[in-house]
Amino acid sequence: MKRLFFVIIILLGITTSCTKNFEDFNTDKKRPVEVPGETLFANAQKALADQEASTSVNLNVWKLWAQQWTETTYTDEANYDIVNRNIANSVFQVYYRNILMDLREARLVIDATVVDGTIAETEKKNRLYIIDVLEVYCYAQLLETFGDVPYTEALDINNIYPKYDDALTVYKDLLTRLSADVAGMDDSQGSFGDADLYMGGDVAMWKKFANSMKVRIGITIADGDNATAKAAVESGYAGAFAPDESCRLVYLDATNSNPLYQDMVQSGRDDFIPANTIVDIMNGLFDTRILAYFSARGFSYERNSNNQIIDTDLAGEGKCILIYRDYLNDNDSLVQVNLPFTALAKDSANVFTYNIGGAYGESSAFTQYSHVAAPIQEPIYPSILIDGTEVSFYLAEAAERGYSVGGTAAEYYNKGVTASFTSWGLAGDAAAYLAKPEVAYTTATGTWKQKIGLQAYLAYHVRGLVAYTTWRRLDFPILNLPPSITSYSEIPVRFTYPTREQTINGTNYAAAASAIGGDELTTKLFWDKF
Amino acid sequence: MRKLSFLLVMLLLTAMQVLAQRTITGKVTSADDGGGIPGVTVLVKGTSNGVLTDLDGKFSISVPKDATALQFSFVGMKTQEVTLTTANTVDVQMQSEATNIEGVVVTALGITRDKKSLGYSTQELSGDEINNAKRTNFVDNLSGKLAGVQVKANGNMGGSTNVVIRGSSSMTGNNQALFVVDGVPINNDNTNNAGQISGRSGYDYGNAAADIDPNDIETMSVLKGAAATALYGSRAANGVIVITTKKGKSAVGGKKNIGVSINSSITTGMVDKSTFPKYQTNYGAGYGTYYYGPTDDNGNPIPDPSGNWYGGFEYVFDVNGDGVNDWTVPTYEDASYGQKFDPSILVFQWDSYDPASPNYHKATPWKVADNGPITFFDNSMNFTNSVEIAGGGESTTFRLGYTNVDEKGILPNSEIKKNSLTLNGSYDVLKNLTVSANVNYVKTNGKGRNSTGYSDNIMSSFRQWMQTNVDYKMQKDLYEQTTRNITWNPKNPENLAPAYWDNPYWVRNQNYETDTRDRIIGYTAVDWKINDYFSLMGRYSIDTYTELQEERKAVGSGSGEFGVQRPDVTSGYSRFGKSFNERNLDFLLKFNKNLTEDLNLSALLGTNIRRSKVDQLYVSTNGGLIVPGQYSIGNSQSTILAPEELLNEIGVNGVFAGFSLGFKNFLFLDGNIRRDQSSTLPEANNAYFYPSVSGSFLFSNVIPKNSWLNLGKVRLGYAQVGNDAPWGSIKDTYTQNTTFGTTALFSVPSTKNNADLKPELTTSLEAGLEMKFFQGLLGFDVSLYKDNTVNQILPVAVSTATGYSSKYINAGEMQNQGIELMLFGTPVKSSDFQWDITLNWAKNVNEVISLDGDLKNLQIASLQGGISINARVGEPYGTIQGTDYLYHENGQRIVKANGYYAKTATTDKIIGNINPDWTGGINNKFSYKDWSFSFLIDMQQGGSIFSLDMWYGMATGLYAETDYINDLGNPVRNTIVYNEDGTVDESTSGGTILEGVLADGTVNTKRVRGDNYALQGYSQNPNSAFTYNASYIKLREAVLSYSLPKSLIEKSFFQGVSFSIVGSNLWIISKDLPHADPEATQSSGNVQGWQSGVMPTTRNIGFSVNLQF
Repeated sequence: MKRLFFVIIILLGITTSCTKNFEDFNTDKKRPVEVPGETLFANAQKALADQEASTSVNLNVWKLWAQQWTETTYTDEANYDIVNRNIANSVFQVYYRNILMDLREARLVIDATVVDGTIAETEKKNRLYIIDVLEVYCYAQLLETFGDVPYTEALDINNIYPKYDDALTVYKDLLTRLSADVAGMDDSQGSFGDADLYMGGDVAMWKKFANSMKVRIGITIADGDNATAKAAVESGYAGAFAPDESCRLVYLDATNSNPLYQDMVQSGRDDFIPANTIVDIMNGLFDTRILAYFSARGFSYERNSNNQIIDTDLAGEGKCILIYRDYLNDNDSLVQVNLPFTALAKDSANVFTYNIGGAYGESSAFTQYSHVAAPIQEPIYPSILIDGTEVSFYLAEAAERGYSVGGTAAEYYNKGVTASFTSWGLAGDAAAYLAKPEVAYTTATGTWKQKIGLQAYLAYHVRGLVAYTTWRRLDFPILNLPPSITSYSEIPVRFTYPTREQTINGTNYAAAASAIGGDELTTKLFWDKF
Repeated sequence: MRKLSFLLVMLLLTAMQVLAQRTITGKVTSADDGGGIPGVTVLVKGTSNGVLTDLDGKFSISVPKDATALQFSFVGMKTQEVTLTTANTVDVQMQSEATNIEGVVVTALGITRDKKSLGYSTQELSGDEINNAKRTNFVDNLSGKLAGVQVKANGNMGGSTNVVIRGSSSMTGNNQALFVVDGVPINNDNTNNAGQISGRSGYDYGNAAADIDPNDIETMSVLKGAAATALYGSRAANGVIVITTKKGKSAVGGKKNIGVSINSSITTGMVDKSTFPKYQTNYGAGYGTYYYGPTDDNGNPIPDPSGNWYGGFEYVFDVNGDGVNDWTVPTYEDASYGQKFDPSILVFQWDSYDPASPNYHKATPWKVADNGPITFFDNSMNFTNSVEIAGGGESTTFRLGYTNVDEKGILPNSEIKKNSLTLNGSYDVLKNLTVSANVNYVKTNGKGRNSTGYSDNIMSSFRQWMQTNVDYKMQKDLYEQTTRNITWNPKNPENLAPAYWDNPYWVRNQNYETDTRDRIIGYTAVDWKINDYFSLMGRYSIDTYTELQEERKAVGSGSGEFGVQRPDVTSGYSRFGKSFNERNLDFLLKFNKNLTEDLNLSALLGTNIRRSKVDQLYVSTNGGLIVPGQYSIGNSQSTILAPEELLNEIGVNGVFAGFSLGFKNFLFLDGNIRRDQSSTLPEANNAYFYPSVSGSFLFSNVIPKNSWLNLGKVRLGYAQVGNDAPWGSIKDTYTQNTTFGTTALFSVPSTKNNADLKPELTTSLEAGLEMKFFQGLLGFDVSLYKDNTVNQILPVAVSTATGYSSKYINAGEMQNQGIELMLFGTPVKSSDFQWDITLNWAKNVNEVISLDGDLKNLQIASLQGGISINARVGEPYGTIQGTDYLYHENGQRIVKANGYYAKTATTDKIIGNINPDWTGGINNKFSYKDWSFSFLIDMQQGGSIFSLDMWYGMATGLYAETDYINDLGNPVRNTIVYNEDGTVDESTSGGTILEGVLADGTVNTKRVRGDNYALQGYSQNPNSAFTYNASYIKLREAVLSYSLPKSLIEKSFFQGVSFSIVGSNLWIISKDLPHADPEATQSSGNVQGWQSGVMPTTRNIGFSVNLQF
């Protein structure tokens, strides 16, 4: 019996005592529990730039909704279906979870870092201000997309039912933060250094970014709260980006490539072509940026005995910019024609090229239309967050709204157009373009909203959300109706909230939906008065 | 030939022997009451010659002169043998054996128990029943054979099988049954990646329990409820399948015992066409007929110089270089809503662009393909050969078994090879000390498993994205002739790169995966009988394997998701390596004593120390391969993306104690308690206790003896089982993303861990009644149960505005209640012929009682098509949610002004549920002399399945249903032609008017076109239109077997010879889901009820021979 007792003691002893490895077992040896704050910041920057650049039908449909591009075979997103692919869910997730959460974590980590010396202390502060500026940028994007969104109660895992905040109140707070950031940043010292993927830690540039954001936010809400808008723009314009400056992420290679490269080249798919909306306008204006935006279609032709061109397979009608080879001096030249056309001289190659966009939202055969220009599909094509072109157009608008911004609308308009041509490598064409009566600010058709709206729209190619927001605010140019809708008022002016919010944050969702006047694609946001 | 003549001689000898006979009569009575017993089998020993006793217990049998003895057997009585003398009358008194009427079963921890004493439900199968049909995963053979066990095999070669007992109890955790072989828990992990499981893309590598060699199985018992499984600890909360392997038998009477058995089978399978698409045959490539758009100002087509105009073709390429544009098929469009077939139209098709093609630069007739996708499939072949040698000396036993499986799937270039070697033995070191050991080595080599899911899957092309004009034999010929990727889906005549799809023969032959798994499962055990009452067992077991999965995409392929992070690439190589090992150290001290004459006590005290470790590395090339054909990571175009690494170690220490009291053979009581301490829980909460109590009462042993009731037993059980957390859910860490240049990128992960987790707890109640009547000719076993799992450890979905997608919490309660019925009867029984029926039926009702706080819905998976699988409060687990029709208050569907159905704006409408209403199986077995025939009908009633195949396939115009005659008597795909007055030209117009009402309740009269993707399919219809009833009735298995009579072979060196013809999945008698098998899914696990690009089911027929020496 004694040995039995002995056995029992041993059995119980073994099992209750050997738990000393348990702590070790539960430690993840492949993932760190501590990382430097700048790695979180850089990750947020990458995620943000990716989202801005992307044309994935799961993430970013604004190049479509701005009718810069359209879809070839699978046209659901161009027809305003965001439910099928839960796009709103993804947008919420990208901004809050992938970007803002990492920024918040970077702030916490950096804030807790103990540093020695005043320079290091200044650098640390600069870092925190820069993080703050980027947070503001992200919230501004969310507000533009949805209207009211969680803000004061966001990013707190202990409150899993965050309430939605009134958009104007949030905008005001964002502007306050930007002012504090501008005041606080010390550009005599550095910040993130190379870990800042956008601007290499250049604090002066970050100050300009913050000021530019004041201008952007101000103009965005101008029709909603003019006083706030005026104050913001007027305090920010002087320190904002000059026409040739911008904040951008330049991608590196195929491993760290622009998402457009993944969506359009790596995928091997032919999903996107230019929309007729932008192509028709540019053809009509003889806007040479079309050469940088799109790669033209070619067609061959024959001459008949009267030296007339027999156009054999040219599809489509309307105006075209034709590119032909001058056989006298062997230069490419451009000429504007009406289609179908009959005769053109001076060509030796018997090949013309021209641009044609797919009818927005309709099924289009990829091969029969122009394509997005090759440089835009390169892995290294940059993702732009905000640039001087944009600031110029905002200031033109500000001038028209009577804000004191140190220049006239026409001056800023010209700056904006010129900056756009320059940034697309066509600086030489800008003056001639601006001289055209339908472009020149004094002679162009329509109200200032129409003039600025049209040129800003043309300048914002590839920058879908900016173009779409500008269209919502200025209501120009006139967009086309895809087959899914039958009236202009059915064009969406915001995203509906994520379906996920409806089910897991239902009370707050319902309050927000009611506060903005209904959770519909066609609910106008508070600043979108007209 | 020699064997055949040997058999002939034997036959003759037997025939001669039966000539001399005599007749013996007698009566069989019961020793209990002296009454005659009807239905006793009286058999001449060593033959199959026998009769049954009549109602008075009398019999008359003619026996050969040389017969030595008669055997009397009867259910519930001890079998008796009476040596024949010269007397021609033999009277026999049979002893009751009522207490053993149910025999013994192996229960938790390998403890053998009298079934009668169990207070919970178990069900047993013999090795033969499991191993009838040869499949690479024997688990598939359990379907329909066990009540309350839902076995769902998909059609993937070597694919995963989902085994859920009594419904799902965990919302997000593992719900699979635990497999235990000879006391060793067998890892049943599924290494399919998240993308595969959610139907995105990837291969189904199957689950690891498939390594168990069915030839090694002696018996299997299924422990269903918590009362039965509590002793195994937390992992057994989902039920346990306890497998006992065959062992050698020790020598009897000093004579060595050795037996050899050889089993050989060949099985072939062919596609069951009811599980494959039936295509429309009138229209070819395209999404509509908009390709040649130009019309003049009046809307009239501008014809080509020959005066032809085809809306479904393009007219922009000069294919043959004659300077004139040619009509070409829009080959880049993977749909069949295009130009109507008309063989008189000659058009340039995909096969006219490559010089290797016989149709190079030739326009060919526009017609439906002679050889559609069905010609892509081969017949599958499976060769299974096994040999075993088993035996023993006086103090030793051993068994050596070897099985070789060689399987070829129905897709070209697919195979699985499996070699399994097992050796077990025991040695009585001392009279009271036995040492035993077992080692099982299994090597599985797979090659060319079928891809699954939506993307890059030949089957999703066949079911969703295809052109009915494509001749697959031509695809095959051109691939074989050139070994190039000449696809039916080139972008255009001037760019022959694949638009979306490769030539499927290229894919099968170039882009194949290979995988190997080397596995060793073994144990050593010591059994020490300390004294008459105490015994001690100690066992150390190990289950360890390494697995390597290599995937390839050859240079020249179309772009598709591949490798780490699944970016789109046109070529690549990836390798996933996993090593797993689990070690268990068990001690079990047992006590057994009759306390009084009437009271027996057995008790046990045990410990279990478990350690497991998973070490994984997944790495792939990035951006393509540099050197074609070289599959190495170094051959990467771009810098590789950060590899995915996982190292996960778990330790659990358990202590348990139990007792079992038996009173007078009719009252039994069991009690157990277990304490587990798990490393996956926070240190402060990592130990948890749980008890179980069960009892049984054999009322048939206390009521007066009667002739009709042989067994009556009620059972009652109560149990709790605790469960720990998934590994890595306590401490927060960061996720590393691919470095940007020289800047490392880290991110906060999407799930917030929780340092305060507590164990989850399942409480289970079970009651049962078992009865057997008429000497066992009829019986049933019914169980009722109710399981509640509370404090579930859930990564609960939270608003992403919190910065996380989910957060680990303890919350929620899920309930399963159900009924299981097993019914068995023998409607006919004579000495030569017997008919047995077994019926299994089970109904489980699941309800999600609560989630966390106000939370009403927990998403388990979000799937393509906008579908989600959810746990929703007040609903059964596994609601399928998506969009639905909008209904008018008059009950009719609402149609929008544009003529299409209105859909709900949100995707949270419940449109189905993955759980069946009930499942059942009926097996009939007929035995006639040495022949037997059995067939199994397996069925499921209810449950739903969403078909992404129909969702897209109807939109791409593939299926026969997309081409019909409309209300006007015209093809629905005809253009709608309007008369001058705006009315529809009824003589030619296609299109249709959807049945429903406008929002104001008036009947819809708007005709919508039927010639493009909008009418049917995903675009204008809600998810609910593609959710089908998953019910089925299947002829699952039929077996015809013949054993050579004992009398024939007893003088040979054979102990037994049998042949059988086995059919499995022979016929789907009924189903609702069109074009596919409702059982087909992506993988095992909680994501069920959704299918995309699933393989067709194969009908298998096999022939096998079993020889025993």
